[in-house]
Amino acid sequence: MNRREGHGWHQTLSMWQQICLITSTLIGVGVLTLPRTTSSKLFEAGWIAPLIGSAGAFVSLWLIVKLSKRYPGETFIEYSHKVWGSARRPWVGKVFSLPWICTYLVYLYFSTAVVSRVFGEVVVTSVLLQTPLEVILITMFLLVLFLCMHEVEVVARVNELLFPFIILPLLFIAIASFQKAEFGNLLPINHVSMRSTAEGVYEGIYSYSGFEIMFVFFAYANQNTNKELAGFYSLLIAALLYMLIVVAGISVFGYEELQRVTWPTLELVKSTQVPGFILERLESAFLAVWVSAVFTTVANAYYAVVYSLRQLFRKGIRFQRVVAFVLLVPLFFFSRIPQNITEVFKLASLLGLSSLVINLLFPVVYWVAILIRDMVTRREGRNVDG
Amino acid sequence: MSQFFQAWQKRKEALQSKALEQYSVESMESVSDVTLTTNVEENIQLIEAQFGKCDDLVVRRFQTKSKAQAAIVFIDGMVDRNVISDFIIRYMTTPDITYHDPATNELDLTDKLRQIVRNILSGCAVLIIDGCRNAYLNNTRGWDRRSVEEPQTESVVRGPRDGFCETLCVNSALIRFRLKDPNLRVRHMVVGERTQTDIYVMYIDGIAYPPIVEEVIARIESVHVDSVLESGYIEQMIQDRRWSPFPQIQNTERPDKVVANLLEGKVGILVDGTPFGLIAPAVFSQFYQSPEDYYERFYIATLIRFIRIISISIALMLPSLYIAFSAFHPEMIPSRLVIAMAAGRSTVPFPSLVEALFMELAIEILREASVRLPGPIGPTIGIVGALVVGEAAVTAGLVSPVMVIIVAVTTIGSFASPSYSAAIAIRMLRFPVMILAGMFGLYGIMLFLIVILIHLSSLKSFGVPYMSPLSPLNLNGMKDLFIRVPHHLFKTRPMMFHVQDKIRIREEDNPK
Repeated sequence: MNRREGHGWHQTLSMWQQICLITSTLIGVGVLTLPRTTSSKLFEAGWIAPLIGSAGAFVSLWLIVKLSKRYPGETFIEYSHKVWGSARRPWVGKVFSLPWICTYLVYLYFSTAVVSRVFGEVVVTSVLLQTPLEVILITMFLLVLFLCMHEVEVVARVNELLFPFIILPLLFIAIASFQKAEFGNLLPINHVSMRSTAEGVYEGIYSYSGFEIMFVFFAYANQNTNKELAGFYSLLIAALLYMLIVVAGISVFGYEELQRVTWPTLELVKSTQVPGFILERLESAFLAVWVSAVFTTVANAYYAVVYSLRQLFRKGIRFQRVVAFVLLVPLFFFSRIPQNITEVFKLASLLGLSSLVINLLFPVVYWVAILIRDMVTRREGRNVDG
Repeated sequence: MSQFFQAWQKRKEALQSKALEQYSVESMESVSDVTLTTNVEENIQLIEAQFGKCDDLVVRRFQTKSKAQAAIVFIDGMVDRNVISDFIIRYMTTPDITYHDPATNELDLTDKLRQIVRNILSGCAVLIIDGCRNAYLNNTRGWDRRSVEEPQTESVVRGPRDGFCETLCVNSALIRFRLKDPNLRVRHMVVGERTQTDIYVMYIDGIAYPPIVEEVIARIESVHVDSVLESGYIEQMIQDRRWSPFPQIQNTERPDKVVANLLEGKVGILVDGTPFGLIAPAVFSQFYQSPEDYYERFYIATLIRFIRIISISIALMLPSLYIAFSAFHPEMIPSRLVIAMAAGRSTVPFPSLVEALFMELAIEILREASVRLPGPIGPTIGIVGALVVGEAAVTAGLVSPVMVIIVAVTTIGSFASPSYSAAIAIRMLRFPVMILAGMFGLYGIMLFLIVILIHLSSLKSFGVPYMSPLSPLNLNGMKDLFIRVPHHLFKTRPMMFHVQDKIRIREEDNPK
């Protein structure tokens, strides 16, 4: 029996789906350590860091949006050929775009390894004490693999459905912990220098990265939606949530105490008591719900990798499925390389640095290349005209 | 691997449908080319030869008023005998009646033996007259049918009490009766090489999206099967993903529900011989929406929807939450309760996963048994099973008292879904969640929920995403998703089915 897949109208990503994609990728394991990392250099004023960081992220995201608008309907993989190549010799573009694409993919690939490792550490140390780390990693990877079996529109819809599971627990924790808050902990406000502000922002930079997946996903955005606005809203949502969490962390614990806890956000959850609520000690429930936040971060990045490879080799969904499975095996071993939690955090901050490079350097370099190309072609055109 | 499996499946299907076609061609080929002669006895022999030795084939010979030999052929039990004696035989034999033809409401002339055989099989009486090459096909269909009764599986407190019955024309009339719109289109199709089951595909021209209608018709046409005994055959063969546990086509016994869905731009499929009609495309909201929601005031309708959603979640997750809490996260339970629970569990020799699986299995057996048992005994067994066995199991220390409460609430919760086939999906999925909860606690439950969410997001029913209007988000559709807004706010039809005529309430017709 032959059957057609419905009546195949092309499903593009709506603005809300773009917001969900970006925000849920941004919010991941970074939040669990955010109050500590930001307040380590900024002290009481740690809550400024998410705002400044997100503003910086928006500049980069705006450049990515502009790139995708310049090449509508094309992913980073597809337009890289055009940016670096010439019309006469297509192989030039292929060769010169390869280092950029490879760097991008390798970065995303390793970021998934680190994120899943961090999450595995949290789960193993605080909830499932007797479960081996490997089991958490494998189950998470199997979940990611299942998503990678599907097309892009499914990814967008999954993000859309999981979005409330990411936002609501954070809001709940932040608001519920204000009953224990001592707002004196937040004072004085203008106490830090510009230098330590920059350092503080840098410490938490890992939390604002993740939107680089939009190099790929913006290609499928509905052309009528305002992508800049989608980027703006998603970063705004993330920044406000981060700020709330950091404010809650600092005002409940004070910045000195925050430096001594590994997972400050989880400590916030532990200290939360809701009067009249049936359940106590919510950290297990929080981490269970938090699986969805981590899953969207890991899965979206990994999907971007796998999907890019599929485009790079011009293959279909079967290739994507096979690649998704094959690449998970080394990923599992990579995620087990760090010996302990300190090494994991070191790697995470290294990843933050490389995300800074990728997110700022890539769009800027690409735009410079495009502008130079434009100038050259215009001059050539003038020569032809005489 | 799956590729290979698909190819194998496809080949098997192709071979099967080829064989079926071959059979039907062979069996009908010998008939098709033959035409009737002018001799009555020869014609009777021709028809009888087709049926072989068939004792319910009745041949009544008589003489018409013009002294010609005639015979009437029909199958006993499928025809209305009064019509045959009063309006065919009496009309043809009484000299006072000057009218020449039989006085039946549908009359057709043919000399093709194939068509005659088909019509006899579907309850027509065939009149053959000597000297006349054509036979009269009289529609005398009339067999004992169940009357229109209240639907058993979808009862409502407020709303129409009539449900579909087994006869196709009655069912389509029940829909016409509610929807007096000339744009209601009915397409007749026949599926089943041997059963020759009649199928009506109904839609409203000008509302339904034509590609969806065409897709439904094309998929039904592509069904090659020897028998269709219930609409479930059609449903399972034309749904988008045949391996999914979730029903992607809705079934209903209620004509009012079909009409409401036709007005939303969906397509109704009625199958002869079953009181269950199909509605395509279907979305996830079928799990907790009932036609009653639109008949009662919107406050209570909204509240009841939330109650249904909660009860579906309970049916899916309560046992696994119990397992997760008692085995992995006892610190989350308030301390007084945890002491009581521990006291209850102190005599139970199994881990909580085994305890829960054991009890759920018992309740499933009970449920199945009480469905099969004859009417008056069913509830008795339910009470005996639930109360006596449950009580005894607790006293014997096999299960904890909390477990009994949880199993009972879970079972009741799974009955709150207005759609039985949707509730089955939830009922089935409860077991994998329980096993994952037994392995990983709350983490396992969340893993499974994400797996289900991914699967639901990937499902489509005739091109409509299964989770719409929640994802892709459609604010207009949200008016009728969890809450049900008052009727005067339903100004447009839901957009997710790509309706053609979008307006439900015209402003200019409703002066303030």
